[in-house]
Amino acid sequence: MKVARITALAFLVVVSAACLFADFVAPAPYARQFRDVPDAAPSHQHLLGTDSLGRDRFSRVLYGTRVSLLLAPAAALLASILAALIGGTAGFVGGWLERCVMAATDLFLSLPWLFLLITVRALLPLNTAPFTSVLITFALLGCLGWAAAARVICADARTFCQSDFILRARASGSGGFRLLWRHIVPNLKPVLYAQFWIAVPVFILAEANLGALGLGVAEPLPSWGSLLRELESFSPLSSQPWQFVPLVLLIAVVSCFHLAMKKQELSV
Amino acid sequence: MPELLMNAQPVLSLRLSASYPGRPAVLRDLALDVRPREILGLVGQSGCGKSTMALAILKLLFLKGGKMSGSIQFNGRDLLPLKEKEMRGLRGKEIALVSQSPISSLNPALRIRTQMEEAWNIHRRTTREECTRAVLGALESVSLPADETFLRQYPAQLSVGQAQRVLIAMAVLHRPPLLIADEPTSALDIIIQSEVLELFSSLSRKLGMSILYISHDLLSVAKISHRVAVMSQGEIVECRKTAELFTNPLHAYTRKLIAALPVAPAFSSGETLVYPEHATMIAGAELKTPNLTM
Amino acid sequence: MRQRLVRLGVLLLFVAVTGAAFAQSGSQLRFCLHSEPKTLNPVLMADESSETVRYLTGGVLMRLNRLTQQLEPELATSWKVSEEGKTISFKLRAGVHFSDGTAFSADDVAYTMQQLMDPALHSPTGDSFRSAEGKVITKVEAKDRVTVIFPAPVVGLDKLFDQVAIMSASSPKKEMAVLGPYYVAENKAGSYLLLKRNPNYWKHDAAGVQLPYINSVRLDIQQNRDVEMLRLVRGEIDFINAVDPEYFDKLAAQAPGTVTEAGVSLDSEQMWFNQVASSPLPAYKKAWFTSTNFRRAISNSINREDLARVVFRGHAQPAVSWVSPANKVWFNAKLQPHAFDQKAALQMLANDGFRLQNGVLRDREGHAVEFSIITNAGNKYRERMATMIQQDLAGIGIRLNVVTLDFPSLIERITRTFDYEASLLGLVNNDLDPNSQMNVWLSSAEQHQWNPEQKTPATTWEAEIDKLMRAQASTLDQKKRKQAVDRVQEIVWQQEPFIYLVNKNAMSAVSKNLRNAHPVVLRPQVYWNIDQLSLGSEVAQNR
Repeated sequence: MKVARITALAFLVVVSAACLFADFVAPAPYARQFRDVPDAAPSHQHLLGTDSLGRDRFSRVLYGTRVSLLLAPAAALLASILAALIGGTAGFVGGWLERCVMAATDLFLSLPWLFLLITVRALLPLNTAPFTSVLITFALLGCLGWAAAARVICADARTFCQSDFILRARASGSGGFRLLWRHIVPNLKPVLYAQFWIAVPVFILAEANLGALGLGVAEPLPSWGSLLRELESFSPLSSQPWQFVPLVLLIAVVSCFHLAMKKQELSV
Repeated sequence: MPELLMNAQPVLSLRLSASYPGRPAVLRDLALDVRPREILGLVGQSGCGKSTMALAILKLLFLKGGKMSGSIQFNGRDLLPLKEKEMRGLRGKEIALVSQSPISSLNPALRIRTQMEEAWNIHRRTTREECTRAVLGALESVSLPADETFLRQYPAQLSVGQAQRVLIAMAVLHRPPLLIADEPTSALDIIIQSEVLELFSSLSRKLGMSILYISHDLLSVAKISHRVAVMSQGEIVECRKTAELFTNPLHAYTRKLIAALPVAPAFSSGETLVYPEHATMIAGAELKTPNLTM
Repeated sequence: MRQRLVRLGVLLLFVAVTGAAFAQSGSQLRFCLHSEPKTLNPVLMADESSETVRYLTGGVLMRLNRLTQQLEPELATSWKVSEEGKTISFKLRAGVHFSDGTAFSADDVAYTMQQLMDPALHSPTGDSFRSAEGKVITKVEAKDRVTVIFPAPVVGLDKLFDQVAIMSASSPKKEMAVLGPYYVAENKAGSYLLLKRNPNYWKHDAAGVQLPYINSVRLDIQQNRDVEMLRLVRGEIDFINAVDPEYFDKLAAQAPGTVTEAGVSLDSEQMWFNQVASSPLPAYKKAWFTSTNFRRAISNSINREDLARVVFRGHAQPAVSWVSPANKVWFNAKLQPHAFDQKAALQMLANDGFRLQNGVLRDREGHAVEFSIITNAGNKYRERMATMIQQDLAGIGIRLNVVTLDFPSLIERITRTFDYEASLLGLVNNDLDPNSQMNVWLSSAEQHQWNPEQKTPATTWEAEIDKLMRAQASTLDQKKRKQAVDRVQEIVWQQEPFIYLVNKNAMSAVSKNLRNAHPVVLRPQVYWNIDQLSLGSEVAQNR
């Protein structure tokens, strides 16, 4: 267990360092098109080959990891905080507020987000820098991703509200927001952690899908999402296994985060 | 028995009716006085409304959806018209509660230190050191190890007896005039039970606090109470000094309860009440709480 | 002796009968439709799948030979278009019968024309004949002679009849009675269509054998192109009509010999700048986009060779102007694709007051040159082209933002709100005659994308295009028309309202079992000579 944790931590450190210092590590700028060698196989010049426009895939993976590794957890954090506030308050206060909030959440979940996001894209100015566009995308994901988690958290908060220790806390004079924050939220942590870790890969994939709608990362900036979109055209007839590197990296990073976290923080 | 004390103004004077929607009244114009520094035992069958009464005194009955009417005179002031915010200031500080199931009454997600500090900080604005001192003092007063290792533990790491002591320590943290103990020993085994009973009676002596000791177990009640009130179907049917009650029960229900006992009760308490001032002194010395002036 | 002869005759007859039975019992051609045909009524067809069915089942008066790009007689043995282009008279083939046995006559042509032009039916095919308000008169002069009179001249009138499948006026089976090589025998909605050979088909080969050779055609409805490709590799289908560059290369590796490249097609990919005067763009950007120098500089800064080579893997050609080199008759052979020359581009920009400062191109007033290009999301070839153009333009200090939009909002922007700067789209072209593009080139036209529905031409060159396009439309003199169309190509080449990027190649994949297939650039690329196609014998026995 300990070895696994150290290995996971080491892996994360290496990945983060490589991304942070991508400017030095990457063999080529992420946008540079080596037009003579599109779709190249790995070689010592292009460690992971090149994409369909001849861009060095290794460099793109580095920069893409930087974008996604920074922004997806940030968005997941935003969504989790919103879920904790909204779901926690609803479950804590109960009564009509809970009913209203849950009705709103259900409505929120049932909205056709795909179409709404298309509208959102239509409202955005066309001339946005690629990085702003990524930022907007993840901010949107964070603002929209709370609903499902809020439902779970609301149900949990309600259960806790009826528990003995909350009664005891009330009997010792606690109440209101303080009771929620000091006594209920710490108990929601495991659920929140779980929701957070579910949200990270979901958001990375959502960003990839939004890219297909023109809402994600704009060219030429890479992200895990846009790198994963390469696999769209993957066909059993061609064999370019190195195209799977971004996917493998995504899985590896998410599972390493799980391993590196303390047991206690994941489950009480 | 000091008549002076018996005639003093009661700490708590109840006249309560309570009910839950759609059901017959649980408390029917229940009348009860708790006098300063006394341990009043309250016995009755399960379901007769004992816990309802405990919650009603703290005005927490709304949590279970209950309604109440009447009056709760606490130190000469009626609690019933008080707002929730004012009640919060009273709960834990003036009236403390020790509840039935020790383990589940502690927040599983928080370390002992955090919970106790939180219980302290709700009512006091003090420095960290003062807070720590109060917490350690309270732990000492319930004979728990007052050290860092213990404070760092989570409730799940404690034994039931330890957990109950922690709950009692939290209850006496602010040296409340009134402590309500709702079946505090029912989850404990015999030996720990008697230790905890002993603790209650010594704390009452040391801190000069009144205890409303609620239990279905007449024997344990007899062991520590000065007076015993017998509750049946939402009413107090009899309330007398412990020895009198046992030697000369007046109400049929009381007689039934006593007849059902396997052994004759041993009375221990009563005499300590003669020295209340002394007790307070000891308590003050032991707890070293900075709120002696309050 | 006599007896022996009879015996031999019987034997020969037996051989002939069994042989024929062999050939006829099994042979089935299979290929995929990408969607279900929306209708089987030939007058109402507009979608690709329906048109496939119409091509395979419909008998037409004359057929455009997809290889030679010339009209050939079919049900009409000859025809004549009047001087002014309003009237066409046909002499019909005698002794032809519909698939249900009813005889074909001039009445059927009259009935078909009536259906085609019936305003209540809104026939998409009929629309191409509507040059002006008024009634279309069909005169049946004899059983085999019919004349159709239009209220106004229709340019390229005769070629339009390639799309008109003749329906029976009298058959009780209505549109199910056909004159083409096959008829629809089975239609399993969402799954497949089974076509069987028309027993009354009039065509015979040189040896007198009745056509078509292949007994039945099975059209499987299959949206997924990967599956379609796998099925071809496994030999479950016989061809894929149009293969895109990526699949072409994969197939070339997997099943060598199946893919063929017929050469450059009529389809083009182009970009253009928004020149609408009322658009919500800032004035300085409008000034850029309406400047010929600016547009030509952009055009010269784009490496078309690279686009064709990298994005289309070499299966495309740098485009010249609006007529593809594939259009043998109308292409202006004097024009060359714009060369990649960023020095020349900067020179042209300098003429307009632009200058390069610290790697950023600025206009006279100091605005950094930055604009966005919109294209439809999900089309990876366009996304890649845009990304390459982005890189090319960075070379002259221009920042290009690539924005992919879903198709409806893209159309909304380029046709209604005009809230866009540049757009990258393609044009699928099916028609050789430039007249079909009148709706693009007239300045008053809706499809005049860069600045549609102008009251009066905004520029002198647009006015000239209007004049030339109208001129070519109002004459039947092929030479004059060609001159006008050549000149329009030249103007478009100079002014670049559309910056033509590439013409895609037409590529098909054909199983080796399919004989006599000559894929061409015009649709339908593979089965244009359906009645001549045959299948290898080993396949016939397997099925």
